[in-house]
Amino acid sequence: MPRLGVDVDCYLKTEALPTVWCPGCGNGTVVQALALALARLGRPPEEVAVVGGIGCSGRTPFYVRTHAMHTTHGRALAFATGLKLARPSLTVVVATGDGDLLAIGTNHFLHAARRNVDLTVLLFNNGIYGMTGGQMAPTTPEGGRTTTSLAGSAERPFDAVELAMAAGATYVARTTTFDMQELPLRIEEAIRHPGFALVEVITQCPTYFGRLNRIGEAPEMLLWERDHTEDLHGAGEGLALPALTTGVFRQERRTEYTEAYRALCAARGGRYGDE
Amino acid sequence: MTSERDAVRIRLTGRGGQGIMLAGAILAEAAMRDERYVTETQEYGPEARLGATKADLVVANRPIAFPDVVRPDLLLCLSRPGYLKYGRGVAPGGLMVVDDRIAVEEDTTAEGAAVVRLPLRRTARELGDEIATNIVGLGALAALSDVVSEQALAAAVAARTKPEFADLNARAVAAGLALGREARRGGRSAAAS
Amino acid sequence: MALRLVMGNEAVAQGALAAGCDFFAGYPITPATEILEEMARLLPPRGGVFLQMEDELGAMAAVIGAAWGGARAMTATSGPGFTLMQEHIGYAAITQTPCVVVDAQRSGPSTGQPTLPSQGDVMQARFGTHGDRPALALTASSVRGAYDRTRLAFTLAERHRLPAVLLLDAVVSHMREPVDLPPPPPPARRTFAALPSGAPRFGPRAPFVPFGVGEPTVVTGLAHGPTGATGGGSGAFTADTLRAVGEALAADPDVAAAVEAYRTEDADLLLVAFGITARAAREAVDRLRREGTRAGLLDLGVLWPFPAAAVAQAAERARAVVVAELNLGQLTLAVEAAVAGRAPVYPLLRADGGLLEPEAISRFAQGAATGEARAAKEAMAGA
Repeated sequence: MPRLGVDVDCYLKTEALPTVWCPGCGNGTVVQALALALARLGRPPEEVAVVGGIGCSGRTPFYVRTHAMHTTHGRALAFATGLKLARPSLTVVVATGDGDLLAIGTNHFLHAARRNVDLTVLLFNNGIYGMTGGQMAPTTPEGGRTTTSLAGSAERPFDAVELAMAAGATYVARTTTFDMQELPLRIEEAIRHPGFALVEVITQCPTYFGRLNRIGEAPEMLLWERDHTEDLHGAGEGLALPALTTGVFRQERRTEYTEAYRALCAARGGRYGDE
Repeated sequence: MTSERDAVRIRLTGRGGQGIMLAGAILAEAAMRDERYVTETQEYGPEARLGATKADLVVANRPIAFPDVVRPDLLLCLSRPGYLKYGRGVAPGGLMVVDDRIAVEEDTTAEGAAVVRLPLRRTARELGDEIATNIVGLGALAALSDVVSEQALAAAVAARTKPEFADLNARAVAAGLALGREARRGGRSAAAS
Repeated sequence: MALRLVMGNEAVAQGALAAGCDFFAGYPITPATEILEEMARLLPPRGGVFLQMEDELGAMAAVIGAAWGGARAMTATSGPGFTLMQEHIGYAAITQTPCVVVDAQRSGPSTGQPTLPSQGDVMQARFGTHGDRPALALTASSVRGAYDRTRLAFTLAERHRLPAVLLLDAVVSHMREPVDLPPPPPPARRTFAALPSGAPRFGPRAPFVPFGVGEPTVVTGLAHGPTGATGGGSGAFTADTLRAVGEALAADPDVAAAVEAYRTEDADLLLVAFGITARAAREAVDRLRREGTRAGLLDLGVLWPFPAAAVAQAAERARAVVVAELNLGQLTLAVEAAVAGRAPVYPLLRADGGLLEPEAISRFAQGAATGEARAAKEAMAGA
């Protein structure tokens, strides 16, 4: 990837390619953006851990050359919380999907945000369960067609940004795989942020979401992403459908959990942490 | 291993909130300070307050195999539900120390067991706080049965309770011991109602 | 001797500190809660991590994450929480993650009788997770035993790289006994040597090296090869690893040493029990001996891997074997398999929240020895 301006190969396991992901899937775009963000931050790969859940996005740990843990469905954040507390010097990034984080794992999402543990969550939101073949997700839009909602979903979807804000996350952003300029910047900001950071990435699943909802292949889906999102600051097109807002919704400083825990130990004579 | 004969089995019962769990730990600590073998187990319901709770102890001169108490030799009872639940289970020849505000009937009391009713709660209240009823009860039980020494009980109370209640608890132990001694002098049958 | 009056659950916490435990994640549940409370009190002054998670799924996940962060990590729960942890116990097994899980068993199923004892998780400790794996489950029947077995659980978890389970019950957890426990050693940071490039990370003899030490490692619950990578014969590698770990565990002398024999040298009536039931059986043995019956007891300090050799050897001399347990016959299955017809096996079972008392055990065992129970068993089989 010569045009990125920095060396990202040291963060990628090129020998593990091709990925399990379908042609046109947006997940590779997110992983590339993650590698770019790590490269710009200059974090050595051996000081980074990427923790994935289950689902398409959960396979991310196999394609990064950092410490990596591919865990169980919905629980990546709980694994990551234990890992971060045991070794606070590690930069811990969680790769998770909308089913993983917002259905089976919602509880851990809310509590990790509440604690404000220094974790960066990359939410790969494609609005559908890809790994199991296209079932309805808690993010499937109302009317969205999936193999378990062929007549269109009758459910109101979750808004991950609202949930994260309500639960106390201190960095909250949403972007898309269409916006390859913004995506790595958001990830970089999130990793730099000392506290719980969510970057929701709207990403395309042409195989299931695109096909079942007659949007088309990857290029059409990327244009769909462009047309169905609106910048937080109003720079968007006039849209026929309800748009998802993108941008940075919150960026604030609140005592990070390992810092708070270090103080708690110190008050009782204990020395916590790597240093 | 201990035989059934040389072990004393004790049950403490009352409502949740009356300090039965603490009393069990104190009595076990006292037995330990007397250099005897002891086990203490507990049973309680979902209620942190009210309900019927119990602490069971076995005190012996040899290692104790089974810590559960089937038929206690000694029963300290601070509540009516506890009395109704465990009053009949006392071993023949056993002793029940019951707060005198609890109504005692023949058909809910074990046959062949002596019943000593003492003003445990009233005494604690007169000392300044009803919360010390459990400590008064332990004092009375110790004086009536010799299951633990007076010195060990006083030391265990001091070791297992909060310093801010040290004075109240010390007076509660003394008052309980006095109640027990007096009842013992008067004979168990005279004290029984 | 500096005797202290200590509760079983407090002894678990002391044993964990003695083993160098520096990470605890858990969720409150009767009758294990005192372990959580003790660790919350004891770990921060030592710089260790105490984490109260949002549920038991998260607690077990955090323990595994912490182990890969280089911590000696444990959790403690009871039956319902143990059920929620099962998926992650399987994950710890396939990822060869050393960690410790204490299950203070209570009466069930479901909420059951939450403050009453049970021994209903014998098979859950063995087969609770999906798939199959080598299982290690220790038990304790005394406060001192709870301390010693907690330490042993950490030792074996690290030696064999697996999740070690300690099965207690509500009585042993809440029982106080005078014990002389050494003060915990000062906290010490663990050190790990980085593996040479390309050295195996997984497999029966691969050392455990956590994240942050040396080259990046990939850990996965998918079948994997020695580097953690999937595909290319990884199914066979994982199966072979688990089998080899199980064999090494079964051959470990420290596992066999956890079985406590009581008056079995000349016993022709063999009692088999663990936990609080073993305490009752111990007294039953004394009663039977006083009555002239040569009874003996195996107090199984380890259930899995099942100490089949010790049971078979003791059954060699026995006219009858009695298994006493607080469930509907879980341990009995393993005992029957180990005895393998050397003597008839009679289960004495109770699963209503109450205990098997010494008198009930001795009476039942006497019947087994004299053939009354045998007749009853044959009659039942014939009916």
